[in-house]
Amino acid sequence: MRLRAWIVCVPVAADEIDQTGSTDHIYYRRDPITKRKALRWPNDALAAVAVVVSAEYYEMRPPPGAFIPPNVPGGFGRGPYPDFRNYSVRAYGNRVGIFRIFEALDRYGLRATVALDALTVVHCPQLLPHIARRGFEVVGHGQSVTRTISSRMSMTEEREYIRSTLATIENATGIMPSGWHGPEYGESAQTPAILAELGLRYVLDWPNDEQPVAMTTPNGSIVSVPMLVDFDDVYALFHRKITEARWQQAIQEGVEQIVMDSTQSGRLLVINLHPWLTGHSSRIGYVEAFLEFLSQHDRLWLTTTGDIANWFQTQSASEATG
Amino acid sequence: MLQYSYRPNFPPTRQTPTEADQCWVDYDPIVDRPPLRWPDNARLAVMICPAILDYEFMPPGNPWLNPWARTEPPDVLGYCRQEFGNRVGFWRVLELFDKYNVRPTAVVNVDALERYPDIVAAMTERRWDILGHGLSNTRFIYDYDEATERAYYRAMLEKVEALTGVRMTGMGGSGPQAGTGNTPDLLAEAGFVYQSDWSMDDQPFPLRVRAGKLIAMPYPADMMNDVTALASFEADAYAESVKRQFDRLYQEGTHSGRLLTIAVHPALIGQPQRIRYLEQILDYITSRPGVWHATGADIAGYYLSNYYDNALARLDRLRAGGSR
Repeated sequence: MRLRAWIVCVPVAADEIDQTGSTDHIYYRRDPITKRKALRWPNDALAAVAVVVSAEYYEMRPPPGAFIPPNVPGGFGRGPYPDFRNYSVRAYGNRVGIFRIFEALDRYGLRATVALDALTVVHCPQLLPHIARRGFEVVGHGQSVTRTISSRMSMTEEREYIRSTLATIENATGIMPSGWHGPEYGESAQTPAILAELGLRYVLDWPNDEQPVAMTTPNGSIVSVPMLVDFDDVYALFHRKITEARWQQAIQEGVEQIVMDSTQSGRLLVINLHPWLTGHSSRIGYVEAFLEFLSQHDRLWLTTTGDIANWFQTQSASEATG
Repeated sequence: MLQYSYRPNFPPTRQTPTEADQCWVDYDPIVDRPPLRWPDNARLAVMICPAILDYEFMPPGNPWLNPWARTEPPDVLGYCRQEFGNRVGFWRVLELFDKYNVRPTAVVNVDALERYPDIVAAMTERRWDILGHGLSNTRFIYDYDEATERAYYRAMLEKVEALTGVRMTGMGGSGPQAGTGNTPDLLAEAGFVYQSDWSMDDQPFPLRVRAGKLIAMPYPADMMNDVTALASFEADAYAESVKRQFDRLYQEGTHSGRLLTIAVHPALIGQPQRIRYLEQILDYITSRPGVWHATGADIAGYYLSNYYDNALARLDRLRAGGSR
């Protein structure tokens, strides 16, 4: 793909993307956060904070060839069929853990974004009314955590993977998601272009910033809402093995810093929770504690990632026309 | 500390093709279920599970799981760290169970009962319950055919009954819950009442098997288990985690009874620097009213008599698209 085509945003079919000769992507500009036009959140809020709850299905029998990143199974890896152990660790999330997290969000009057995968829709249909009656936003979260997107897929396969995920969610919930979060943040080099082609407005897989980032693809624009991975419960508690209390403290320290740094231009923090882990009886208290901290903070816009993306798009559009 | 490791590119194990991803557990959100009531309206059933394990010095190779991954066997260091449990740790743990008058459910590799007769005597004298954990923690039944696995359970049941007088009602796969696609069916057929390999809940629940009945009795995995917790933290963190689990489940138990299973490995928690944290746990869990301190056989028996049939009938109605 030649640079010129990206900048003028000539619409080309995603199949034509060719990055021959470049080791980089050119989805967004390299402008430092200190040099951007000021971003303002609604209602004089200084910083925006959102919670993304991942509702994921971990298969007992993934299809042959499915790509499962080596950090997914936990412990010392994924065992031979039937891996009762790892299946069960994950299944706790949708059976038990997610309801503790939902009830904690209810207690503090917060709306969350649910990253929902297609196999959860298929295998855990009774979960859906619990999401719908709360008015939570749903974003597409791939087929399952045991089938992630990677460059091993052809572009045709990847497009079908994303399209069928969205169709499964729309059929079951009546709502087409406007956002996407690849399972395990999985993407190929073409993912943003395919997402834009399929009409998605924002993506959660690029944890590189404290503001939304406008991405340009050959198929139109898409907003990146960054979700910093060091706050992600799985990366903090499971992979990095910090304690729950320290994780809670880190979230609160992060929010305080972002609020301080938002006086010139509004920033954001998105926290990704996995119910199989932080929905456990021994950990939910720390989730409740930081949600209470957020709810008592008077300079935060507590909202969904979809509302953040919408607001950013609207602001950008009004600047462009104004 | 590196001990178990799956072999790189292990061979596939046989699978019975089914349409569903798995055919034993129906998805059932905990908040959708009718309330579960324990005897005497207890909020919480607590089952404590010390592990009595068998580790072979020079085990045969297993194509799927390497039980001594740190070095070619013998891993003298790893072997000794485990055997400490049966030589020293067990006796410290036993003293505390006596002091707090709790009757545990030992998680037992059956071969260990032959190797450690003094442990058998201490357990039988106190009428401990026994939850089977395969024959040995260095042998795994991956890819056993049906007849071999059937014989394996029969041999386990008979050996344990001969050595201890206990007819086991529960079983969970050795090591990291090793099993086969036939395991739930064969456990039910052999007369087991519950399987402990399904850690996905805070209540017992029915498993679907081709004949008979089988209950899933959640047993802690992930960092809720002392082995995984102590791999990264010290015992104070594990004790605090257990207390938090207890508090939350106790609170939730006012609406519907919960089950707390506490896994303790004498090789780890029985070390001198850690035993005080087991004492903290026992002190905490025995100090509140409204707690049913029970064995696996007690809890599974109660669930089977009072809830199993209705729970399964409700799941059948849900499957058929009916109301709950």
